[in-house]
Amino acid sequence: MKASFVSTSAVSQALRYSMQRTQSSLVSAQKEVATGKVADTGLALGAQTAQVVSFARDLDRLNGIVDSNALVTARLSATQLALGKLTATAQDFLSTLTASVSGDAASAITQAAGKTALEEMTSILNTSQNGEYLFAGVNTDVKPVNDFADPASASKIAFDAAFQAHFGFTQADPAAAGITAPQMDAFLTAALEPQFLGAGWQASWSNASDQKIVSRIALNETTETSVNANADGMRKLAMAAASISDLLGSNLSAAGKAQLVARSVALVGEAIASLGQLQSQTGIVEKRVSDASERITMQADLLEKHIVDIEGVDPYKASTRVSDLLSSIETSYALTARIQQLSLLRFLG
Amino acid sequence: MSLSSALSIAQSSIRNVGRQTSVVSRNVLEANNPDYSRRTAVVSSTAPGAHVVQVQRATSDQLFRQNLGALSQWSGQSTLYAGMERLGVAVNGVDNATSAATAIGRLQEALQLYSASPANQNLAENSLDAARQVVRSLNDGSAAIQSFRSQADVDMAASVGELNSLLADFKNANDLVIAGTRAGREVSDQLDQRDATLKKIAEYVPVTTFSRGDNDMVLMTGDGTMLFETVPRAVTFTPSSVLAAGVAGNAIYIDGVAVRGGNPSSGKLAGLTQLRENVAATMQSQLDEIARGLVTAFAETAPAQPDAPGLFTWPGAPSMPPAGTLVPGLAGSIRLNAAIDSAQGGNPNLLRDGGANGAAYVANATGGASYSSLLIAYSDRIDAPGSFDPAAGINPDVSLGAYSANSIGWFESARKTTFSTLQSSEALAVRTAEALSNETGVNVDMEMSLLLDLEHSYEASARLISVIDEMLSTLMAAVR
Repeated sequence: MKASFVSTSAVSQALRYSMQRTQSSLVSAQKEVATGKVADTGLALGAQTAQVVSFARDLDRLNGIVDSNALVTARLSATQLALGKLTATAQDFLSTLTASVSGDAASAITQAAGKTALEEMTSILNTSQNGEYLFAGVNTDVKPVNDFADPASASKIAFDAAFQAHFGFTQADPAAAGITAPQMDAFLTAALEPQFLGAGWQASWSNASDQKIVSRIALNETTETSVNANADGMRKLAMAAASISDLLGSNLSAAGKAQLVARSVALVGEAIASLGQLQSQTGIVEKRVSDASERITMQADLLEKHIVDIEGVDPYKASTRVSDLLSSIETSYALTARIQQLSLLRFLG
Repeated sequence: MSLSSALSIAQSSIRNVGRQTSVVSRNVLEANNPDYSRRTAVVSSTAPGAHVVQVQRATSDQLFRQNLGALSQWSGQSTLYAGMERLGVAVNGVDNATSAATAIGRLQEALQLYSASPANQNLAENSLDAARQVVRSLNDGSAAIQSFRSQADVDMAASVGELNSLLADFKNANDLVIAGTRAGREVSDQLDQRDATLKKIAEYVPVTTFSRGDNDMVLMTGDGTMLFETVPRAVTFTPSSVLAAGVAGNAIYIDGVAVRGGNPSSGKLAGLTQLRENVAATMQSQLDEIARGLVTAFAETAPAQPDAPGLFTWPGAPSMPPAGTLVPGLAGSIRLNAAIDSAQGGNPNLLRDGGANGAAYVANATGGASYSSLLIAYSDRIDAPGSFDPAAGINPDVSLGAYSANSIGWFESARKTTFSTLQSSEALAVRTAEALSNETGVNVDMEMSLLLDLEHSYEASARLISVIDEMLSTLMAAVR
């Protein structure tokens, strides 16, 4: 009799406990079906949760870098466009100069071309995007190039001072008509070159910083992503355009003017070559950034897959589990009802 | 043998049936009381025709002890698990949304965006906002841990009070059992009451029992400390009004021996001790280390100058917190540097340029608005391997980013272990309770069938009496 003894409260208690367990698993199974993830990451993964957390963080970071790379790409393509325009300007200028060397063009036209080239160059180098000057290096809140056309500008004053210091008189002085070709050549080499190609450039012409903008384009890759107005091409173009626009209209002798034009042709030629080089360098960085973005996107996709692998649940399995649980709860309801009916009391008269 | 003796036997049978019926009806009444043990009325003959009814109480010492052990473990683990659930949500948020790890990740993202466009004031503000979130996460987490520890302390005091009153109840029940046994009375009800109290005591501390003469019971805790021997032993605890980070609270003493925590914990007192002293305290020191890592990662450096706190600062500024050493409570006191934080009147550009500690620390010498190297360096330092205090319980030689994620991993791993022990101890507690109930509980159907038997024997005895009565009347009529 004792071996198979069952107490009344144990019967109902056991039913109640199993019902409770099934219902609580039903809650989490439902959650898993709805979200496709394990109901409680911590309980399911334990120490591995750290991995999920750092993967999710890396994923957000990678996506952040892709976003910031878009900013960098925008800056680079604006730079590329500006460099293209600058090259076109230089080429127009060069063709006018070449025509002038062969004696066809009046010096007034050449001078006008120089002025145009200088103005265009100034405007291109002072391009801003998003409130940042493209060619300013890291000094993006300051206009990179001073306006030579403004008599009060540092560049114009420095230019006039250099002329005055070299010859002892101003460009407008009648004595300027006596400047010979070798004298002119000496002036260009000794006075103007330091102004443009040397330290004078950053003193009076350019406010751009030599320091280029550095950007992180991948998790462990940084690169310089800007071009500044202190590059050789800009300096040479500026030297040619400034001297042509300023001196060709002055009292200079014809020999001096011819020498000036001849030197300018060479300068602008060199400028075009170095601008081309800048363009290709910029292109290389552009490619590097887009490659990095592509790589990062792939990496992010992989990470995403990994996260799903770790904390995801098989939707088929999850929904099967829900229906299993539901049917077992129904069975247990039916059982409870029948067991409650089962009592000797009902048969005792 | 005579008619009169037959009559008295029938009478005694009716009396016995009456007593047996009363036992049956008591059993039926208590069928759903888990603390009630089934009684059996055993009839034995002493002399021909004389029967006595003895009431026996169903017991199973072994199952009862097993059930006590399972109850202790279940109670300890469920206290521990419920506490960890609360702590996890309070510190890390739902799905770790407000955890330090997540906030640091956001800060890195914001810095990355800022470094791509350093001249942009909005992005500077955005980075500061992310940094504020980091500070808030650490400050709030630290405050949550401290209030959690204080709450655990209050719970411990309440539990000790309850345990002491349970022990007093136990003494009363035990005294009644001893007195009843000595007087030879039936003590089943007193035994039931004593067992019920014992089950409640087992929820607070794991108990081992042994019985002495006269049904006297002695209680000891799982580790052998005397809990009750004739009189209850003192369970004492001095609550602390404020529990600061890094300061251990008072222990609970049973008969002068401190209760230790541990995982798995057995009994509510051990569970609470484990929560207050180990889980919450370790979590606090991990947050403190994360805070120290932040102050270090964002430190400003300059040649020939000592390093000084940059974006994140602490009460010990301008000196740096000592390297590789836990500073208790740092997570609660870490702040944004007022020189940088725009909300405190600072200049956000100092984050980009350096110089929160004076001109000597300016990294952007030319003042270019798009200087990004420092911002990139900060982000790199979060990823660079650091050295943390091994006392905080997780691998100390990892980067700040990994450390903050590992802190979550450590917690979740502990929670998972606790949960699986909780589940198994719960199953054990339910299973042993069921087995114990099957061994000592009441089956109503069985009682009903017994009742039928009793009814029959009553009918038979009554019939006997009426037959004897008839026979006696016949005899009397003949005599008359």
